[in-house]
Amino acid sequence: MKRFKKQGANLSFVLIVVILAAMPLLLQAGVISASSTILFLGKCIAFAIVAMGLDLIWGYAGILSLGHGLYFALGGYAMAMYLKLQATGGGITDFMHVGGLTELPAIWQPFQTLPGALVMLVLVPTLVSGLVGYFIFKNRVKGVYFSIISQALTWAAYSIFIALSPYTNGNVGITEIQTVLGSIRGEKNRAQMFLLFYGALILMAIVYALCRFLTGRKFGKLLVAIRDGENRTYFSGYQVSRYKTFAYVLSAIIAALAGALFVNFNGSITPSQMTISYSITMVIWVAVGGRGTIIGAVIGAFVINLCEYNLSSGSLVDLWQYIIGGIFVVTILFFKGGLVGLVCEQIPAWIRRLRSRAATAREPAGQVQKGV
Amino acid sequence: MVQEKGVVLDIRGISVCFDGFYALTEVSAAVKRHSIHFFIGPNGAGKTTLLDIICGKTRPTSGTVIFHPAARSDVRLTGMPEYRIVREGIGRKFQVPSVFAGLTVWDNMLLSLKGHKGIWDSIFGKPSKEELEQVDAVLARVGLRDRTQERAGALAHGEKQWLEIAMQLVQKPEIIMLDEPAAGMGKPETMRTGEILREIKNECTVIVIEHDMDFVRQTADVVTVLHEGKVLTEGTVDTVLADPTVQAVYLGRGSAAS
Repeated sequence: MKRFKKQGANLSFVLIVVILAAMPLLLQAGVISASSTILFLGKCIAFAIVAMGLDLIWGYAGILSLGHGLYFALGGYAMAMYLKLQATGGGITDFMHVGGLTELPAIWQPFQTLPGALVMLVLVPTLVSGLVGYFIFKNRVKGVYFSIISQALTWAAYSIFIALSPYTNGNVGITEIQTVLGSIRGEKNRAQMFLLFYGALILMAIVYALCRFLTGRKFGKLLVAIRDGENRTYFSGYQVSRYKTFAYVLSAIIAALAGALFVNFNGSITPSQMTISYSITMVIWVAVGGRGTIIGAVIGAFVINLCEYNLSSGSLVDLWQYIIGGIFVVTILFFKGGLVGLVCEQIPAWIRRLRSRAATAREPAGQVQKGV
Repeated sequence: MVQEKGVVLDIRGISVCFDGFYALTEVSAAVKRHSIHFFIGPNGAGKTTLLDIICGKTRPTSGTVIFHPAARSDVRLTGMPEYRIVREGIGRKFQVPSVFAGLTVWDNMLLSLKGHKGIWDSIFGKPSKEELEQVDAVLARVGLRDRTQERAGALAHGEKQWLEIAMQLVQKPEIIMLDEPAAGMGKPETMRTGEILREIKNECTVIVIEHDMDFVRQTADVVTVLHEGKVLTEGTVDTVLADPTVQAVYLGRGSAAS
């Protein structure tokens, strides 16, 4: 049964990948009319990646971060800064002019080249999350207190990014950029778009494999142990704070990669990707999909975003926020395991209960206890 | 197996002050190697606080705890973080059974193995054959061998207690501390726990906190009585229980406490 469950997750993932991989072909064949669908699915892939990172720390280690938008946006900005400099040919941007800068600020220098940008893309979130994690976990701040701190940090970063508008273009964010593969707009650049899309798909597969590998090892069991009994884990001789910091940093890096990917499909990054509500939306994806399963995070990210894409365009646009809030509340109250838990545990439990009830009905004196 | 009967844990003049209230005052005790040393006393006597200090959960206001390992030089436990104390070879079982409820019995044991506490090891390491056999042997000893694939959270209360004891044993500690191991157990289970303790004292030293006087009589080598944060008396079970002051402290409790 357990083995089936394990394989079930991997099979579901393969199925999702196959369906996604077929999308560009469907577009070519004319089944899907708009190429924006591909761009949207590309963004969903980015969301699925950040959700997996979030599941690693929340579902497994029990660290509920309500500020992962921060790392997502840090990755996004790193990528966007590189792409912006590509667009300006390494020169100073318009918003820097407006802000009174005469030459490219030092913080922008590493983003002149792709390798430099990639280093910064990993380095900055690593440093930020490493410092935050080190001090918070060393002082054994946990539970809701950690969540509040993570929110406050995100809010602070959001304010800073808006305030430093000569460097970040404030509220507007970094716009008018192409992708790492050049322009993907228009019919003639379709090949680039498909290439980017398949690249994203590969990145998602790598992150999934990494998360599955880690959670399948003793490391994953330790994260669960920390979630179930942090004290006991300390008293089993583990330096829990180090494990938590490691998982948190890893999750931040994954979020940053997702952010960088997102920018390519979105064509811009704004501070709104850093807001608390955006961060909480990420948590909702994981909760709805099913915590502590990795595959649940992927499913949740796709399901919620597909719903949003299809529902929020019509008359439901005003209601969408209420709908997603309602889904979240219902999930937490009645379906703790999310969609994955519903399929793997709750529905089988209902079937067993129905069966045993049927069995009891047939032989009234029979075994009521069995199978419940 | 029983080697020299030296002192393995030296508790020297421990005082703890919580906001002006002295939970422990100048408590000193010497725990002998390969003995089962009981700390008993009425509620609020400071027994659990004493364990907290030994294992590094609470810092004492004054005093020190010195650990004399069998094959190494002395270690001053006071001021060390708890995970280091565990790695030195001092395990602790809590009053409320605290096993990893979401993991199987087997995984609970694997996580408790001695060594392999680093992140790298947890990702790429694998337990050796000897270690797996050791886990198996310890589980057999506490009678959980055929329950290995069950979730620890699904075990009965007494079984959780045994699992937690087994988790300590598999760390190969020199000292194992048990906070009310028989709490919430029925008579047969309590007797079985006593037997387990008498078996494991051949390999390590056992420190126990307990209320159940029958259990104390069955199991203890040395008993230290704490009362209002001070050591009242210390000795063998019979001398301590015959002591009139102890009887006065335990008035109305005594063997009825079980």
